Amino acid sequence: MEFFLQQAINGITIGAFYALIALGYTMVYGILKLINFAHGDLFMVGSYLGYTLVIALIISGLIPNLLVALLIIFLMAMGMVALTGALLERVAYRPLRKAGRLAPVVSALGASIFLQNVVMLIYGPRYHVYPKGILPDIHWSIGGAYVTLVQLATLVISILLMGGLYFFIQRTRLGTAIRAVALDHDTARLMGIDVNRIITLVFLLGPALGAAGGIMIGLYYGRINFTMGWGYGLKAFVAAILGGIGNIPGAMVGGFLLGIFETLAAGYLPWGGAWKDAIAFLILILILILRPTGLLGERVVEKI
Amino acid sequence: MSKRFVVPLVLLLVLTHLAGCAPKAKEPIKIAVQGPITGKWAYEGEGFVKCVKLLAEEINEKGGLLDGRMIEIVEADDKGEPSEASLVAAKMVDEGVVAVVGSYSSTCTEPASAIYNEANILQITPSSTATVLTTKGYKQFFRTCFLDDRQGLFVAEKFIEWGIEKAFFLHDNSTYAKGLAEWAMKYYEERGGEGLIDAITPGETDYTPILTRIKAAEPDAIYFTGYHPDGGLLLKQARELGLTPDILFALGNACNNPEMIEIAGVEAAEGALVSTEPLPHDLPYPEAKEFIEKFEAKYGEPPASIWWVMAADAFNVIVEAIKATGSTDTDKMAEYLHTEFKDYPGITGPIIGFDEKGDRLGTIHKFYVIRNGEFVPYEK
Repeated sequence: MEFFLQQAINGITIGAFYALIALGYTMVYGILKLINFAHGDLFMVGSYLGYTLVIALIISGLIPNLLVALLIIFLMAMGMVALTGALLERVAYRPLRKAGRLAPVVSALGASIFLQNVVMLIYGPRYHVYPKGILPDIHWSIGGAYVTLVQLATLVISILLMGGLYFFIQRTRLGTAIRAVALDHDTARLMGIDVNRIITLVFLLGPALGAAGGIMIGLYYGRINFTMGWGYGLKAFVAAILGGIGNIPGAMVGGFLLGIFETLAAGYLPWGGAWKDAIAFLILILILILRPTGLLGERVVEKI
Repeated sequence: MSKRFVVPLVLLLVLTHLAGCAPKAKEPIKIAVQGPITGKWAYEGEGFVKCVKLLAEEINEKGGLLDGRMIEIVEADDKGEPSEASLVAAKMVDEGVVAVVGSYSSTCTEPASAIYNEANILQITPSSTATVLTTKGYKQFFRTCFLDDRQGLFVAEKFIEWGIEKAFFLHDNSTYAKGLAEWAMKYYEERGGEGLIDAITPGETDYTPILTRIKAAEPDAIYFTGYHPDGGLLLKQARELGLTPDILFALGNACNNPEMIEIAGVEAAEGALVSTEPLPHDLPYPEAKEFIEKFEAKYGEPPASIWWVMAADAFNVIVEAIKATGSTDTDKMAEYLHTEFKDYPGITGPIIGFDEKGDRLGTIHKFYVIRNGEFVPYEK
């Protein structure tokens, strides 16, 4: 039981990160039918900006209050990555919007390599480590399972961000406009919606969430590298498909499920550590065969 | 000697030489040092040359080998590239070298060894550890470094010695790490230990699933054979999950990097062991201390890498073979090294001998322990 509980906690933690990143994929797909392969790298950029800001604001002692400093770091990094995302859309995707589906995907791959190289050239190719000891080391033992305050905070922040996004999409005028554009660009335009501005808005929201994930990964695990966006991006992409791509609650469910699948595979099967990715992808294939639209793809008629 | 004698003497010498029956008394013995003397690993190649030249000069000052023949060191720069390695090896064959120290990397040593084997020239690599090199049936190929499996043997023996009954071997599915973990586990089980094995995916950031499973298996020790960025994270998360310090956490030589401690954090890395070849200045043997002193006196700094010192040993082994057989004949020297060469006091430790494939017997690996964020030699 202790073992199961610990693995469940591990899985949920990993899943929360997948879910946060998966939202960016799914929103862009919902609105443009484009798989934004650079999204994982935007998340990575967020992690590096967080690293720089932690050193500039906390380690230097510029802002003595930890909570205030963290709030500023999150807002600044999320803002900067959001602008990068919007800029990317303007430069790399918008000119190709009428060029069919292949060209923007190639452009996205190019953007991904571009971002990785920019970060590598600025920060260098080695691993970077978030400074130790900035967050209080508080942890509990729940039924023998180990939980840290940072882990819990990460989970709460992720759920709040996802909940906020869901509320925004479902209950606000802008959210309604996003849903309208996802259904049909031309009809939305006839209804007086500025489609380009809505797409820009989506490219602000997704990367901002990704950046928050990036900072939390840095704070929680410590180690960051310019290539980390690819691995996380791929897993998050799978999570988005698992839940039903284009569907926001689907991305969240898919993220958590993938994290838990992986962890249970690694925990219970012999050779599970080595085979866990293979098992996770096998489950994905099975789900796609049985439910091609993903887990939540049919239950919600509206895309996004 | 007056001029009257010199001219006929020279003529005589020239004629006898042309006739092919001249005594080769003063002809130098040419020994090549092949390695990346320029290029990305130039640091290692230069070190080889420095070590070997130092030893050769010493022998020459004492009158050379085989009744006064001087040793001439020929530098063979392969730039660390396999294509260059073949070219430069062919050049050394033309040059008429009797033996070769080198090359540095396995990818260069492999093509070069084919050419030296063809020409039947004694070759000793100081640093190429790939298993495949000694599986080709070359009779004149040796190495003074140890194969990857020796490190596994060393760790297995230490684990048994320390009374570890159950050990978990963890690798990252790379050829090198997987091989090392499997060797270590094989030797450990042969000696009565209970071994478990699994792998991580390198580059991930969360290893808690596998660590939780390791914790549930309740081993006495963990041995991770992958690379340092993952080793650091594993140490950090193992401490968080409460595996360490109760379970001994040991790591392979790919984790011998200060960056690992930075990633793990000083606290989580405390007490972890790293199995690796010792640094030159940690070699405990009198031959090592003497050599390092001489090296420092000549070049102003101590040898920086263990491979340099391995090159010095490779050269000494060649000299020993020439002395013992009284010739520079490859077949005689190789035969001697395979059979009679035993317990030579090498700089990198006693060279017990070479097996039939040309691999060095024994091991020189040792454990370092992390204390307050520093690697220090471990004694238990």
